[in-house]
Amino acid sequence: MSVNVGDLDAIGIDARRRIASAPDEAALEQLRVELLGKKGGLTAALRGLGRLPADQRAAAGARANSLKAEIEGLLATRAQQLQETRIGTLADREWVDVTFVPNPIRRGHLHPLTLILREVKAIFSRIGYDVALGPQVEDEFHNFEALNIPQDHPARDTMDSFYLEDGKLLLRTHTSPVQIRYMQSHTPPIRIIAPGAVYRRDATDPSHGSQFYQFEGLVVDHDIRLSDLKGTIEYFARSLFGSDRRIRISGDHFPFTEPSIGASVSCGLCDGAGCRSCKAGWLEILGAGMVHPQVLRNGGIDPQHFSGFAFGAGLDRLAMLKYNVNDLRMFLDKDVSFLRQF
Amino acid sequence: MVISLSWLRELVDISVDVATLAERLTLAGNEVERIHDQGADFEGVVIAEVKGLRPHPNADKLQLAAVWTGQATVEVVTGATNLSVGDRVPLALEGARLGERRIKRQVFRGVWSQGMLCSPIELGLGEDATGILILDDGIEGHDLHEVYPADTILVLEIKSNRPDLLCHLGIAREVSAIFGVPLKPPAVPSDRPPMASKLTTIEALDGCRRFVGRLIKGVNNMTRPPAWMTARLRSAGVRPISIVVDITNYVMLEMGQPMHAFDFQHLNGGRVVVRRAHEGEELLCLDGFKRLLRATDLVVADSEHAQGLAGIIGGEETAITLQTADVLLEAATWEPGSIRRTARALGLRTEASQRFEKGLSPALALPAIDRAAALIGELAGGKPTSSVDLYPDPLKAILIEIAPDRIDRVLGLSIKHTDAESILERLEFKIERSDGRLAVRPPDFRLDCSIPEDVVEEVGRIYGYDRVPSTLPGERVPVRDLYERQDADEIAREVLAGREVDEAVTNSLISADGTANIRLPAAPASLARITNPMAETRNALRASLLPGLLEALALNARQDQAGARLFEVGPAFWRGKLDRVDEPRMLAVALHVPSGGAPAALIELRNLQAILATVRDRLAIESTEFRQSQATGFHPGRTAEIVDQGEPIGVVGEVHPDVLAQLDLPGRAVAAEVLFDRLTADGRRVPQARPLPRFPGVRRDLTVVIRGKIASNDLVQVIRQLGGYTLRDISMQSEYQGPQVGAGARSLSFRLLYQADDRTLTNDEVAGIQQRIVEGLKQRFGAEVRS
Repeated sequence: MSVNVGDLDAIGIDARRRIASAPDEAALEQLRVELLGKKGGLTAALRGLGRLPADQRAAAGARANSLKAEIEGLLATRAQQLQETRIGTLADREWVDVTFVPNPIRRGHLHPLTLILREVKAIFSRIGYDVALGPQVEDEFHNFEALNIPQDHPARDTMDSFYLEDGKLLLRTHTSPVQIRYMQSHTPPIRIIAPGAVYRRDATDPSHGSQFYQFEGLVVDHDIRLSDLKGTIEYFARSLFGSDRRIRISGDHFPFTEPSIGASVSCGLCDGAGCRSCKAGWLEILGAGMVHPQVLRNGGIDPQHFSGFAFGAGLDRLAMLKYNVNDLRMFLDKDVSFLRQF
Repeated sequence: MVISLSWLRELVDISVDVATLAERLTLAGNEVERIHDQGADFEGVVIAEVKGLRPHPNADKLQLAAVWTGQATVEVVTGATNLSVGDRVPLALEGARLGERRIKRQVFRGVWSQGMLCSPIELGLGEDATGILILDDGIEGHDLHEVYPADTILVLEIKSNRPDLLCHLGIAREVSAIFGVPLKPPAVPSDRPPMASKLTTIEALDGCRRFVGRLIKGVNNMTRPPAWMTARLRSAGVRPISIVVDITNYVMLEMGQPMHAFDFQHLNGGRVVVRRAHEGEELLCLDGFKRLLRATDLVVADSEHAQGLAGIIGGEETAITLQTADVLLEAATWEPGSIRRTARALGLRTEASQRFEKGLSPALALPAIDRAAALIGELAGGKPTSSVDLYPDPLKAILIEIAPDRIDRVLGLSIKHTDAESILERLEFKIERSDGRLAVRPPDFRLDCSIPEDVVEEVGRIYGYDRVPSTLPGERVPVRDLYERQDADEIAREVLAGREVDEAVTNSLISADGTANIRLPAAPASLARITNPMAETRNALRASLLPGLLEALALNARQDQAGARLFEVGPAFWRGKLDRVDEPRMLAVALHVPSGGAPAALIELRNLQAILATVRDRLAIESTEFRQSQATGFHPGRTAEIVDQGEPIGVVGEVHPDVLAQLDLPGRAVAAEVLFDRLTADGRRVPQARPLPRFPGVRRDLTVVIRGKIASNDLVQVIRQLGGYTLRDISMQSEYQGPQVGAGARSLSFRLLYQADDRTLTNDEVAGIQQRIVEGLKQRFGAEVRS
């Protein structure tokens, strides 16, 4: 097959028209193969150059090559156009309403007492405390007598107990018996917290229940001082409630500590100015003191060589303060509408 | 304890404002719970006398009171029902102020009211809102402030070890120590009339530590008590009665010693005996109630019968009247335990019993009676004629020795000796310092101080814990205890929450009879019961967490939350032998299936089994298996025992329809309970790496159709036996029942993995084993293979 100029012109006209009207990138690619591929007219024309007389060959060759370059250029331009159109109309073609957010993946919720206990454990484990547990069914020795609360002690009025049928066992009224059990089975240095349920025969109201939750802390070592207790309380309370809170230590009385103190944290709602949720700007959070020498002895530890401090707080009260729960009874209410808020 | 600030000011100089006073008292351990300005809530209120009462013509619940103001009689409308003619009442006429509110003449149901009669709460003089304040004193037309002068009232919470602070002198002493200002105690004359020990006998020596008596003759009890005294009593919340009774109350509020006054002329035999009551003995008490006594109650009796409940309340027969001329004053010290038991048994707490049951010092009695006798002589004209002081076992003085650095060592600060000593001296401790050692004698009214730590506390709380530095304990300690993972329960919680199960905490106390009977087979059938429950619905300890969780499902279903899925980790209480109660930690799960019937429940049962298997796989090394079984409260055909090394450690299944009916839980429910520590092996699983396989494995699915109650576990066992050493793993894939397999048949699919360590298995080799398995299953279980 020979090539003449008219053929090249026809190829050029046809190619320009078809490139301009290619509807999308796939059609354009097909066209490119057709025009420039091995079976395309231009390739055939180029292949036919060798058969031309020598004097025409150079001119025809130049012509064919320039047409090829032109077609390549047109293809590239059109490809660019088509790509820009495709991307440019993406927003319209594939628009979705991203403000329609389906429910997040449904997960079970952990109980607020679990959450607060996790925080308490994390705070104390960072300064080297172990977690100790004790039985909830206790005897009078561990729950009362070993803690300097003999029969007829006024403190028993505030800790009215549930007794089991045998008359000897009772449900622990506080987590303090774990102090005794732990001291009996360990030697100093001791650093523990002991969380768990406690029981009192109290009428229930928004801040009292017959089953509630406490945690106890006990540290026994050489030369433990009240300043250590104060520092520990400040570290704990400000870790839990925020570094902007102030802590107030006041005198208090517990039979199993001497001296005894109480700790309050400044109210987060009124910042200590005094409001309906607090007492003159303060929220009581725990009772504490230096372990009474007789209690150390009852735990098998010689107060001549060791001293210690102990503290106890209501886990449910801390959870109420931290999570803004206004009724202690909600914790045992089992209502999933409440449980799923945590 | 209610403290009148004006009274307190007489006993100690107070130079700070009330807010500072309250703050420092609180920091020292005497929490000021409330501060109230008495007399600030009213202005222009006058005293009036009720002259007449008649019904309101147009309203049943109102009446018209004609009251005399000293100048005129005016008519006021009132809704109160506690008025009688002759009562003195507070009257707010037009222009008077109550709180923020100005009083105006007003028409009520067509009748003009010239003003209003006021209740205690309207005047800020108490909490009572039910009736008009009936005054015990006052002159008609005079300002109410004459009876209730302006005063600041502090309400303090006194700790149980400090009964000595239940009086104004006690608080004044605290103020003196806190602010370093002198105490101004009342003058107490100590000239006493001669002893007349025949006046009193103590028979019950175990109940009375000291009995101080004083006979005062020729009293005029009609004498008006002075206004300062009655005003102080009212400020402290005590109603004035007559001069002798008022003086005993006044001295109690001043010095802390409760006292009783007998009308001597009504005491049979002219003497008193302290003894235990006769069983069934009756006493008409001062509050008008007749009480039946027990042989353990302590009484003060005359020669005939009980005339007062010792330390709690007096008797009516020998009560002081306006005509009383001869008075026997009693200031005794009673055993706290005895007072406490009687007061609790009778449900009677009085100002006196509250002080005695905390353990008052016997040292208070004598100065208190001296003070009261002097006041009676001065104000009511009596003359003390004889004394009694029975004190069989006097207090022994205590000397507390304190090492020189003890205070600093316990508190963790450095306080000057002189500061510490000054605090103790203000608190009336006697100090002896020699060779650097500190020896301290607590005052005789303080029974709470006996060891060095008690003294340290006194210094610490007065000096101020705010001045103690903040440190953390820490010194070099030997390595001894190793870290032990204790977070198995946390991992289990995360697994369960990830499977859409919410955590609940339920009550440990349940109803012994009304609770659903569903539990682990290993749990004892009988519950540990509470002897003194607060309610019959909470009279036993739970042996299983399941009843509580299932009740929670029902409760949520009733509250429009059908389909609740709950779990709990907590102790069960298993009654054991020898008065022991074991507290195994349980994991229990309960899932409500409100609709869909048996097929839906089956799906949830499979889910629940998968959840338990996941917890186990996360935590335990040993594998557990499910075994077809039966358990109390569970569906007889849909229950599995969870078995660990041949031993049952839990149960999982559908809840029995009877239990659902008892709980009124619609639909179905599936539940599980496991001994948590057994399931999780204490969380001590350590992952162990194995070499990766060198040759590829071959997976083959095997689906068989079986008929009847054949357990998959049994099939798996046969497959494993026949599979030989190249069968590495079998997993249960799916289960089908329905038209494609025909009635009564089930198809089960297993996935088998074959692998060898030394070669690539050929298809022929695997096909041969599969064939062997198929034949074995056919032979043993009549299973048909589905292609």
